[in-house]
Amino acid sequence: MIFPKWTNWLPLALGLGAALAGGAVAAGVTIYLTPKYTRAGYQPVQPVPFSHQIHAGQLGLDCRYCHNGVEKSWFANIPGASTCMNCHNQVLKDDPRLKIVRDSAETGKPIAWVQIHKVPDYVYFNHEVHVRRGMGCDACHGRIDQMDEVRHDKSFSMSFCLDCHRDPAANIRPVDKVTTLGWQWSTNAAEAAQLQQTEGKKLVDHMRVESLQSCSACHR
Amino acid sequence: MKNNLNHSASPVTGRRYWRSLDELADTPEFKDWLHREFPVGASEMVEDGSSRRHFLKIMSASFALAGVATLGAGCRRPEEHLEPFGKQPENYTFGEAQYFATAMPTRTGAIPLVVKSYEGRPVKIEGNALFPGSNGSTDRYAQASILDLYDPDRARHFKHDGKEVTRDEALGFLAELSRKFAANSGEGLSFLAESSTSPSRARLQKIIAGKFPKSQWFTYDAVDSGIHQRAATLAFGQPVKPVFHFEKARVILSLDCDFLGGEDDANNHIRKFAAGRKAGEGMSRLYAVESLFTLTGASADHRLRVAAGEMLQVAGLVGDVGGAIAGENTKFISDWIAECKKDLAANPGNVLVVAGQRQPIEVHLLAYKLNSALGAIGKTITLVPVAENSGADLKQLDSGATDTLVILGGNPAYNLNWSAKARTVVRLGYYEDETADKAGWNFPATHYLETWGDAQTSDGTSVPIQPLIQPLFGGLMELEFLARLAGEAQAEAHEIVRATFGGADEAWKKFLFNGYLADSANAAVTAQFIAEKTPAVDRAAIVPSASSLEVVFYRDAKVDDGRYANNGWMQELPDPITKMTWDNAVLVSRKTAKELGVANGDLVEISLNGRSVKGPIWTQPGMADYSLGLALGYGRERAGRVGTGVGFNAYKIFNGKYIESGATIKRTGETYTLACTQHHWSMEGRPAVREANLEEFIKEPLFAQESFHGKEPPIVESLYPNPLDEAKKTALHQWGMTVDLNACVGCGTCVIACQSENNIPIVGKDQVIRGREMHWMRIDRYFTTDPKRKHNDSIFDPKSDANQADENQQFAEWIDDVQAVNQPMMCHHCETAPCESVCPVNATVHDQEGLNVMAYNRCIGTRYCSNNCPYKVRRFNYLDFNKRPLKDLNGASKFGVTYYPTTLTHSTGEGDKKEWDLLRWWKDSNSGMRTEDEWDLIKLSKNPDVTVRMRGVMEKCTYCTQRIEHAKISQKAKAGQTGNVRLMEAEGTVPKTACQQACPAGAIVFGDVSDPKSSVSGLKALPLNYSVLGDLLTRPRTTYLARVRNPNPAMPDYHAPFSTEEYESQSLTKKGNS
Repeated sequence: MIFPKWTNWLPLALGLGAALAGGAVAAGVTIYLTPKYTRAGYQPVQPVPFSHQIHAGQLGLDCRYCHNGVEKSWFANIPGASTCMNCHNQVLKDDPRLKIVRDSAETGKPIAWVQIHKVPDYVYFNHEVHVRRGMGCDACHGRIDQMDEVRHDKSFSMSFCLDCHRDPAANIRPVDKVTTLGWQWSTNAAEAAQLQQTEGKKLVDHMRVESLQSCSACHR
Repeated sequence: MKNNLNHSASPVTGRRYWRSLDELADTPEFKDWLHREFPVGASEMVEDGSSRRHFLKIMSASFALAGVATLGAGCRRPEEHLEPFGKQPENYTFGEAQYFATAMPTRTGAIPLVVKSYEGRPVKIEGNALFPGSNGSTDRYAQASILDLYDPDRARHFKHDGKEVTRDEALGFLAELSRKFAANSGEGLSFLAESSTSPSRARLQKIIAGKFPKSQWFTYDAVDSGIHQRAATLAFGQPVKPVFHFEKARVILSLDCDFLGGEDDANNHIRKFAAGRKAGEGMSRLYAVESLFTLTGASADHRLRVAAGEMLQVAGLVGDVGGAIAGENTKFISDWIAECKKDLAANPGNVLVVAGQRQPIEVHLLAYKLNSALGAIGKTITLVPVAENSGADLKQLDSGATDTLVILGGNPAYNLNWSAKARTVVRLGYYEDETADKAGWNFPATHYLETWGDAQTSDGTSVPIQPLIQPLFGGLMELEFLARLAGEAQAEAHEIVRATFGGADEAWKKFLFNGYLADSANAAVTAQFIAEKTPAVDRAAIVPSASSLEVVFYRDAKVDDGRYANNGWMQELPDPITKMTWDNAVLVSRKTAKELGVANGDLVEISLNGRSVKGPIWTQPGMADYSLGLALGYGRERAGRVGTGVGFNAYKIFNGKYIESGATIKRTGETYTLACTQHHWSMEGRPAVREANLEEFIKEPLFAQESFHGKEPPIVESLYPNPLDEAKKTALHQWGMTVDLNACVGCGTCVIACQSENNIPIVGKDQVIRGREMHWMRIDRYFTTDPKRKHNDSIFDPKSDANQADENQQFAEWIDDVQAVNQPMMCHHCETAPCESVCPVNATVHDQEGLNVMAYNRCIGTRYCSNNCPYKVRRFNYLDFNKRPLKDLNGASKFGVTYYPTTLTHSTGEGDKKEWDLLRWWKDSNSGMRTEDEWDLIKLSKNPDVTVRMRGVMEKCTYCTQRIEHAKISQKAKAGQTGNVRLMEAEGTVPKTACQQACPAGAIVFGDVSDPKSSVSGLKALPLNYSVLGDLLTRPRTTYLARVRNPNPAMPDYHAPFSTEEYESQSLTKKGNS
């Protein structure tokens, strides 16, 4: 009689405890270590306090004025300092906040912007096809025109991409409205939702949107 | 690997680590976070030191989480930077490829190219489809040459007596030389260079001859392709060179001329020859007489194997000039020649007789006589004028009159048996090789992709050589080197080429844009063969025997004359006929091996003219008896990390003549392992390659299906519907491919093109021996024979050929007289792919357009898919081949066991910079086990559109899905809000796969099988179309066009294709039975 009687339940208790603990860890990882929690909200400090709210929101600059490569290549480029100097050689000409930009435009030394939106190396996302085929910038990047500092708005998990790819009609808009952030089919919210469904489907059919879901679309 | 955007001048820190909470508290990110989240706490925090600790105590829990979530350390991915230009250049978009026209210079011409460049660096070489007559293809040397650009072993420094000097010092020395020789009219100055067709170099040569009239210019080529020009000049009495038009010839006789393989300009020959091989009436006929088994012999309708030294006699007999065949089989040979002669005579004007580069000039003269008598001159051979060849006689090179020798490129210390007798040797070279060791001054040369220059293609059309990238290591361009030596005021290569071109600026821009100058080809001249030049054919044929062997030196199919020895892709490309990698061997016929008492792998010593070299034996089916085949270009001593010590150096016994006699062989008793990718030679009667003679094809066009009983079983309604059948209804395209076995000669350009396009790594000799070569595309080469010569009476007989181990094939008598067939094999993208249903993690799936897709990130490496693939086209990354250093390519050896070090056991770096790899990995997860220079250069060579695979994942041909996606994206972007998204061949929007684009013969056709008007649909509808292993119901999308041979019924060796005879003798349901 080495073991007291209550140890009879010990294996069961341990097993149950392990299962519960394991389940909790799994659940925790599944919920909290997904891009929705680890990526959304990422808002790093940038070397230059550039405010999209002022430039894209207040001043109404089109996204493509600076991010001009977005319609020609997979990569949406950050503009070179020379693009900034197009205006800032007159506006806020000597402002100390723009010193780095002025130096960069003059010497060619690049500004080390912190990359916020990045998909893994095994994903080959292409901006050109999305922007030219009716995906609004804010569908993935959120309301940049309201952000003083850009933050990672959506989760950018594979399910995020698939949600749209499985139902492009719910997100598509006319191609010329792609850079109008926050664009809706109508000012009335209910009507907008309704029109998104119907007009969206019309667009998808007319444009023969493939909205590929097989692996070869993104993974090469 | 995707673009690494970290091009910063200042180092990027990557992960941010903090060692204590205090340090964390000091970072601006933390202060910022604090400010945003806790405005009250922030001010407390910043002002009072003591309250900081109190504050942190309270905040400790959320503090820890903050560290995790906010500051970029811990679980979040490391901070990466995007660094745009300071001054944005015009017309440049990051991520978009740019294409530039250039050319790769060859010995007798140039290959016009269009090179794809990403972010200012070239990644893929393609042919220039705009070039008149070109189909946009290249050859395997051009495809592999891009790896040389990123070779870590290339010369990077100017050196004087082995010590580095600055560029200015070196250029100053050139200026000094220039002054010195200007003063004494060039006395004592000699140049040694390889052949070139560059008009700019010729212009500078004239300037040099004018400025230094006493200087000498020597031209040499280890593999002499200039004999065609010399023979033509002699035969026709004017400086001309021949251009062969194989597409116009109905009957071609090749006298040891490997025009599909080893000859210069082979890609043009292949293209033209393939054009004449369309199955049907009017198909050409090829007779080949040779000693080695070459690609030309593999494509020949009739092949006669005689010793190479007897070619003069054969030519004499064909030309009715005399000659006699000695040795065995004289009756058969004379019958063969007689019928061949008749066939030639029956097709006047439509014949072409070509003599090989290695044959002596007499054979060439006889060939021209024949061509002239048969009316070929002006029709299948056109003669184009060339500049007079004014080079000095090479024999004067070591005469002692040279005080300063300037060597341009080449590698004379290795392939010319040259030794430095001159006082000063100045060398402009791409590698620090054997010649660099003997030169006092070494100037690093630029690669042609970094060079301004020009050239002329084989028919005389001017093409530019335009750089795609600044010289990576500050090398010197050849034209600049010569101009400086000549003391020219204008020494910039770009200006020199511009000056040679002359013309208006608009014409120059067009020249650079198009990649050629229209109408600049030399007009053909008419000329008569000078009858007096007919050589006498009275010397007795040197009949080789076991004690006096013939030696045939040939240009290697991979390393050329040795220049590509350090090119990993070339070393690992299986030789088109022997399928050997990483080595050369002494090729012998079975009979010779038997008499000499040697077997595969035996190390023997060959003695010729008082010199000797050791090499391993390899039995070659179909080779002439008592003839040894030695590939030049191996056994390098200073090639670099990849090529040093690979193979044996045949130049040791080479004396400038490609065919020698009187060699002896001695067994050394040692053995040597050779890495071969295809050990089994026979198809064993299986209908992988289906052939028929032309008569049979005309009688029964459906032979590929009917005769081979390969009619695919009917597609029965399946219990489980194939999702692809549903997808076909809505998908835009359905991709498919055909490979025309009539056109394919087995050159291997597609294999290298695929390797270049898809970032396929090299694995090293040891791994190839284990069958782990990574080529997504391979070319299966089978030897077929008369089934009566095989012992296959019963599969239960242990002595039957089918039951022999591969090592015993070399002793089987059937390999003496064989035919060879080539079959490119890559993923067939089967509609009911056996690989897809067995993947436990669904890493390989079928997309709606018919592609069998491989998702590398999902693969866990069970290799069940490869197990199930009947075509065995899947390749597995057993090791992380990309991270292994080149000098450890073949692993390390301990206690006789080869093992491959990992980061745990390996250290990288030299001397005091040697660091444990695990530590290096911790600091930078991308460091691998390679030194930085190797690593950086290898990264540059990768195609950014294609994933670079790591250890543990399966890979295979993807039908170049990146090109398909790119084409679809471009079309969709163009379509905008319209529905015009389908890629149509008629509109030119359908992409080409890398193999298709590179193939000189145009054998591979890829396209949309759901489009009835596409080329591929047309080809699949042909009666010749069949699928390999179709009876397994895999429904492959890649099908083949059966091969049609065109033998002459009157010939003594007329028979049905051996593969068909083998199949019928094995087949249980023989033809005629039901």
